[in-house]
Amino acid sequence: MSSDTQGAVGQSVLRREDDYLLRGQGRFVDDLPTPLNTLHLAFVLSPYAHARISEIDASEALALDGVVDVLTGADLAAMVKPIAAQIELPGYSFNTRDVLAADEVRFAGEAVAVVVAESQYLAEDGAELVQVDYEPLPVVTDIAEATDPDAPQVNPTVPGNVYFEGRFATEGVAAGFEAAAHVIAEDFHSNRVTAVPIEPRGCLAVPEQPANLVFYSSTQIHHLLRTALAEFLDVAESTLRVVVPDVGGGFGIKAALYPEEFVCAALALRLRRPVKWIQDRYGALLTDVHARDNHYRVEAAIDDDGIVLALRAEIRTNGGAYSALPFGCTLETTGGARMIVGPYRITEYEYTATAVATHTAPVLAYRGVAQPVCFMAIEGIMDRIARRLELDPAEVRLRNMVPTAELPWTNIVGVRYDTGSFVESLEMAMEMANYDEFRATQAQGRLVDGKYRGIGICSFTEVSGTGAPGWRARGLTRLPGFDSGTVKVEPTGKVTAFVSHAHSGQGHFTTFAQVVADALGARLEDVTVVEGDTAAGPYGTNTFASRSAVTGGGALIRASEKARLKLARIAAFMLESTPEDIVVADGRMHVAGVPSRGLSFQEVAETAYAMNTSDLPEGESFGIEETDFYDPPLVTMANATHIAQVAVDAGDGTVDIEGYTVVHDCGRVINPMIVDGQVMGGVAQGVGEALMEEFVYDEDGQVRTATLIDYLLPSSVDVPNFQIAHIESPSIDTVGGFKGVGEGGLIGAVPALVNAVADALSDLDVNVNTKPLRPALLSRLIREAGG
Amino acid sequence: MNDEVPVTVTVNGRTRQSRVEPRRLLVDFLRHDLGLTGTHIGCEQGVCGACTVLLDGRTARSCLHFAVAVDGSEIRTVEDLASLDELHPIQEMFHRKHALQCGFCTPGFLLTTVELLERTAEPDEAAIREALMNNVCRCTGYANIVDAVAEAAVELRRRNPA
Repeated sequence: MSSDTQGAVGQSVLRREDDYLLRGQGRFVDDLPTPLNTLHLAFVLSPYAHARISEIDASEALALDGVVDVLTGADLAAMVKPIAAQIELPGYSFNTRDVLAADEVRFAGEAVAVVVAESQYLAEDGAELVQVDYEPLPVVTDIAEATDPDAPQVNPTVPGNVYFEGRFATEGVAAGFEAAAHVIAEDFHSNRVTAVPIEPRGCLAVPEQPANLVFYSSTQIHHLLRTALAEFLDVAESTLRVVVPDVGGGFGIKAALYPEEFVCAALALRLRRPVKWIQDRYGALLTDVHARDNHYRVEAAIDDDGIVLALRAEIRTNGGAYSALPFGCTLETTGGARMIVGPYRITEYEYTATAVATHTAPVLAYRGVAQPVCFMAIEGIMDRIARRLELDPAEVRLRNMVPTAELPWTNIVGVRYDTGSFVESLEMAMEMANYDEFRATQAQGRLVDGKYRGIGICSFTEVSGTGAPGWRARGLTRLPGFDSGTVKVEPTGKVTAFVSHAHSGQGHFTTFAQVVADALGARLEDVTVVEGDTAAGPYGTNTFASRSAVTGGGALIRASEKARLKLARIAAFMLESTPEDIVVADGRMHVAGVPSRGLSFQEVAETAYAMNTSDLPEGESFGIEETDFYDPPLVTMANATHIAQVAVDAGDGTVDIEGYTVVHDCGRVINPMIVDGQVMGGVAQGVGEALMEEFVYDEDGQVRTATLIDYLLPSSVDVPNFQIAHIESPSIDTVGGFKGVGEGGLIGAVPALVNAVADALSDLDVNVNTKPLRPALLSRLIREAGG
Repeated sequence: MNDEVPVTVTVNGRTRQSRVEPRRLLVDFLRHDLGLTGTHIGCEQGVCGACTVLLDGRTARSCLHFAVAVDGSEIRTVEDLASLDELHPIQEMFHRKHALQCGFCTPGFLLTTVELLERTAEPDEAAIREALMNNVCRCTGYANIVDAVAEAAVELRRRNPA
């Protein structure tokens, strides 16, 4: 049996999702039809970063016509257990969070009460009338001050405000530094940002039989959410169904489990009415998980050729006020420590990685998790080596990279790089960006017509498709790694593919159909993809951390292959041939070499469903519906090189991006158009993070960036055009050869842009080791350096 | 606060009469009273542009208007662009150029593009980028949207030669 289908995988198939979305027929959670008796929620948010709640007076709110109830922390504590991330790392300080703060608030925006009303307007009216008396307490927000001996204690079970401290060292680090011709050291500071999907979060809980509760949520992790709802609400998981409608961007922040979801579900069960909650932007900026509030101290011992002999990293990440579910406050900490070695041959390595608690919003996943910062650090070190030794930055990278001929290669923390193109992607990007020409022009002077011009490189590895062993290595023992696929050939011969993922713009309905069409031998137009529903198909780990192509693709390929075998067995019986001689392609089966002796999927399916007079082969079961699971290896490593060309205005410090090149390698590409879209969108977010975006708390923990007027997002005039090329080094460790691509755009853009600005200003005596690189900062640096 | 007042507007060519609270936002009126959920709410601060509609032919943020304040106006939303059988050329080019991912901001971009191309038949890239700068997209990185708008301009000129 074989398949000779003209491959759908690898084609830029236009998206099936587009038609209904373009017509305004998307069904985002706030677009879903709601029953007339739906109740609406509004949360009362703390204006203080740290305070004791002395009294909550809800009488005025309760007196308002249309307000059904006002509940506080004590009320919810009776309905929902304290929620907690399960992290099994030595020395991790376990901590819990009440879904509504009961005694003490620990960050500005933490909810202290919830108003239940007949409409959203009335719920918000009620929230304004709830009187809360707070007794303000001392505050710490800064990552460096959090561990001062006299810093206020953030969380009673987190002594000294240290959530976790991890250490690792190989034996020869000290020797490496002793043998070094030079030591290059730098402190890198990263701004706190958040993802800001344009659709805020929301959920709708509808009590319904036979499932007791249908829970619609703008989540990326429907199965994990369902398990957590069961666990913390103490209800049978089998009585819950979680459905993900269209989701207006997630980028990791919707892969967290939030208090509002537990409150909404608990109230729907308690009040026996549908309950809806839609977040506003103010609430989103305050309470969505944040990211990237990190300090890195990196030291590299190098020889005279710029080869890194040993590397030391001291990493501190701000975990915020609580360890958020499901990945916990150590996600960035362990991530940065494990990923910083990147594509380089680092043979001696030592790290200390600390997660601290502060009176700020919890920190969890945002596209790239830790990697934009750890690569800003290691790629910043590569540029500093080049400047110290007067070498070209590209040359320093090439000398330190693991060459393709040496792959597969296992890095110093035990992560295997099965295939890749570190050197090739850098060389190709240099050629596309006319790198040598740029350097030749630059040699005549960086300052031309009032602008400093610079070029910046980021060559990096991108963690994707993490399996259970990969999560266990980071203490996430309760996080699975597998996903599932079910492929069903219907009686009419059409194909329904169920997958345990949930999209938030990735184009799964199109790309997974491409994968199934090829693996099954079906026509692409005959395959329909269903996902985002715990009642449709088996369990899975869901959609975050660049997983879906690897884990969903792998599971669907396995399930398709099983279904194809069954089609072939039945067809062989009907055609009086043997299954090995049956060719399955283009929605038909025929005997090899005799295309005229064939059957359509429908003709075979009718036999499988006993809808004709043919018998099934002896021992064959009815139907054609096959399920399989796929857990990828430790991690699936993609790679890329980004090169940014910038002009920094000598007067006002504004940065223009004059060229942007990406060479990406995500293994076997399912849909090049969609891969390019992922890359471009990621780069745009990187432009924001490197140059504009910053979430600011003042020293009292007050939020200075609670609107999109203060928290700046890149617009069409800020993001450049792109040159993108692909190298395909199919993974030899994964089913299908796919590697992930969801995060690489953002990971590469931040270091490339920071390095480009640093390069532009490298004739001046300035040190660019922080972000965002806003005009005010850059113009001050230029001025102070006399530029 | 709860005294409702009458409002009459023409939405997508159809006259709609209703009674609303004076404080009801136009976007909530469109979405929840008329069921036109293609217009989205991204910030309620007038920044993101997801709620963009055409109000008497000009783009407007429906999160910044009260329904009563637009009494007597003509409103066009994303639901008015396509026919049952065919997408509008702007929508068609967004599809072909992969100018949308999650699709949440897309209706706002489409209506902004309608206004641009009604005023400027042949915008260059800079003009397109400037016209789009008040709509935020977090998924696409804009380049494909800019391409789609340029291609839509070509297609509209082909269909309606000057």
